Amino acid sequence: MLSPSAPKAGGDILVADDIYVRFDTAEGPVTAVDHMSFNVRQGEFLSVIGPSGCGKSTLFNVIGGLLTSHDGTVKVGGETIAGPHKSIGMVFQEESTFPWRNVTDNVAFPLELTGMPKAKRIERARRFIQLVGLAGFENRFPGELSGGMRQRVSLARTLASEPKILLMDEPFAALDEQTRLLLGDKVLQIQQQLKQTTLLITHNITEAVQMSDRILVMTYRPGKLKRIVEIDLPRPRTSEIVGSEAFGRYVAEIWNDLREEASRGMRDEEAHALHEHAS
Amino acid sequence: MAETGRLTRTAPAAPLISPVLLLRAAIILGVLAVWEFLSHSGWLYRDVVPSLLAIGRALADLLGNSNYYFNLGVTAGEIAAALAIGGLSGIVVGIVLGVNRFLAKAFESYLYYLGPTPKIIFFPVMIMWFGVGPGSKVALGALSCFFPVALSVAAGMRGIDKVLIRVGKSFRLTTMQMVWKIYLPAMRHPLINGVRLGLGVALIGTLLAETKLSNKGIGFMIIQAYSVFDMPHMYAQLILLFVVAIGANALVGRLGGLDKVKAK
Amino acid sequence: MSAVAPARPAPRPSPLFAYAPALTGLATVVAFFVLMEVLIRVGVISRFIVPPPSEIIGSFYRVITEEHVFRRFLLTLGECLTAGVMITVFGVAGGVLMHRYKLLQQACETWVAAFAAAPVVLAYPLFMVIFGRSAWTIIMIGFVAALPPVILKTLEGLSGTRKVLVNVGKSFNLSGSQQFWKIMFPAALPTIFVGIRLGLIFALINIVGVEFLINYGGLGQLINDLAERYDLAGTYAAICFVILVSVVFFMALEKVERWLRPVD
Repeated sequence: MLSPSAPKAGGDILVADDIYVRFDTAEGPVTAVDHMSFNVRQGEFLSVIGPSGCGKSTLFNVIGGLLTSHDGTVKVGGETIAGPHKSIGMVFQEESTFPWRNVTDNVAFPLELTGMPKAKRIERARRFIQLVGLAGFENRFPGELSGGMRQRVSLARTLASEPKILLMDEPFAALDEQTRLLLGDKVLQIQQQLKQTTLLITHNITEAVQMSDRILVMTYRPGKLKRIVEIDLPRPRTSEIVGSEAFGRYVAEIWNDLREEASRGMRDEEAHALHEHAS
Repeated sequence: MAETGRLTRTAPAAPLISPVLLLRAAIILGVLAVWEFLSHSGWLYRDVVPSLLAIGRALADLLGNSNYYFNLGVTAGEIAAALAIGGLSGIVVGIVLGVNRFLAKAFESYLYYLGPTPKIIFFPVMIMWFGVGPGSKVALGALSCFFPVALSVAAGMRGIDKVLIRVGKSFRLTTMQMVWKIYLPAMRHPLINGVRLGLGVALIGTLLAETKLSNKGIGFMIIQAYSVFDMPHMYAQLILLFVVAIGANALVGRLGGLDKVKAK
Repeated sequence: MSAVAPARPAPRPSPLFAYAPALTGLATVVAFFVLMEVLIRVGVISRFIVPPPSEIIGSFYRVITEEHVFRRFLLTLGECLTAGVMITVFGVAGGVLMHRYKLLQQACETWVAAFAAAPVVLAYPLFMVIFGRSAWTIIMIGFVAALPPVILKTLEGLSGTRKVLVNVGKSFNLSGSQQFWKIMFPAALPTIFVGIRLGLIFALINIVGVEFLINYGGLGQLINDLAERYDLAGTYAAICFVILVSVVFFMALEKVERWLRPVD
């Protein structure tokens, strides 16, 4: 009852075609995303991984429709995106709950927009609140919750709009390691339960391998698609599987790809800092 | 709806006259036009809205009149004295409260809650203590400006990076040396801000006292113009006063390196 | 900031230690009054300039009952509330307009800030000409003087909305007015309340001050009356009373603001 409506089962739900994004900065034009093309399959968990500064957040904004000045198209279910699309639900990296609304009102926010009557909204919101494991906190305010709990509220809010695609930009980045692991488990559990197509932007390799069906590896700026890795590990991804040799091999493989990009990024930043200091 | 990120397009050539300037000019001209219209319309009681010409003439008259400058000098002197007395004692008390946590917890809340009370109500008492001359005006001005200065300085003291204080102590500086070489320079901004606020309220306190009971000073001139219903003169006085007040405020702010005149 | 085990509670200081500063403060104030009492009775300070504190306290009852203090208090309060409603309506609307129309903000923000530094209350003779010696003069001065902080804080609150919250709204494709009412305005409310509180403080100060100056109205006029009647003890008592009222007013405002803010 809570699963999103499916178009063609197993088909491509999102098609990104030749995305090219360039910014004009004070130091000249910078290419953030350099002709990336990829598909997202219905029901899959796809991670996009890359070093800091590779353009993954830019990609997040393009797919989410917050950034429209780019070349190339993004199509969802055949429709080209020209702004935030109702089929795509976004979860941001920063703290994004509304501090003036309690948990229920936060989660019910997208339902309010559809004009759903109040009683129904609260009931529906309650289900998503339970889904993320915050039952009992319905009447609390974000100020009373921990960082991890607030991210869960943001997640519940986005899920409440029942998007075809869940788009998340490093949602666990601001959390400590243990909370991150627990939340990751939770998200995975929800994704499997709802068969929710999920696109996760991250820099954490272990997280990506644990959660994903496929991983898109990006190069450092200008961001290109370096490789697509199919993660052929069985689900559910228990701690046994996480500790397995196969898992380790995937992580090593991806790190191999990334190491080169990450060190390029670091050198670039050092040069940048020197340059700024000198001027 | 499209977010353009860290985009800084090469800006289109800037228009010769900025739209901001145009809007400001339009607003000013609009206000002046409405004013002049009301003045000649006869809707409002006689001279409540005198014509711009009349006000202009009154302004010229004032600025060319040595009497005006005499009164301006009297008021300026009173404000300067008030600022000196209230400001200095405020700085001293502020430093003491800033340094000593115990004293701060004992007394600062009194300052905090007494600060925003209207000091003009103390004027009858000031008259009893200091007579009807400039003394009572200076006293009221000093009382007014003591509070914001003391509170700003106390807060500023607490905001000083603790390591700087330790450096001073490690060089075994005397108290006066600590004040001049460490405290005051380190809290330049809160200090200037406090002085700016203090100047504002000293000005108000002194001038209000003059309007209430005085035979000299700008406040006296204003209330005189009121009593003989010389409206163009009153407007001229107020215009000059506001220009001076806002100018002094901006000047002090600029001195402290605070370019924007922000409301606290 | 994940949920961790509750921290070990800090060792509780002995109650005496915690209250020592506050007690010292209180004790000093009491000691001061006792000292004054002694000095005045002995004759070092003339009792015709400063009545002994005991006499002042004694006249409290007389002043309260004979001078209809409660009625005056309500009058002053009414003036404050009227001005308060006006500054809220016009101040918030002004801030919203300036936020909505960037050009307006660019043109006028510094003007409003400069106006906040201007001694508006000094134009009270002008207001008297326009509104007569009435409650409206008092309310209007309170209104004009208190308007700038409300506008500026409203503007600050709206402009300072966290970018991610704006993005959340965009991601749900909110219309312009939905974005404003569901996200920007609620996010700005805490800052707007700060502005209203500042405005109310400005209003009270100016209102009581003008009541004193034009000898009309509630509490401010009371002081003036008693002073003109040479009722020394009564004047001091009335001043104390007004201070008490304004301190309570400010404390109440702080409490209300803390209660109205959602848990931050």
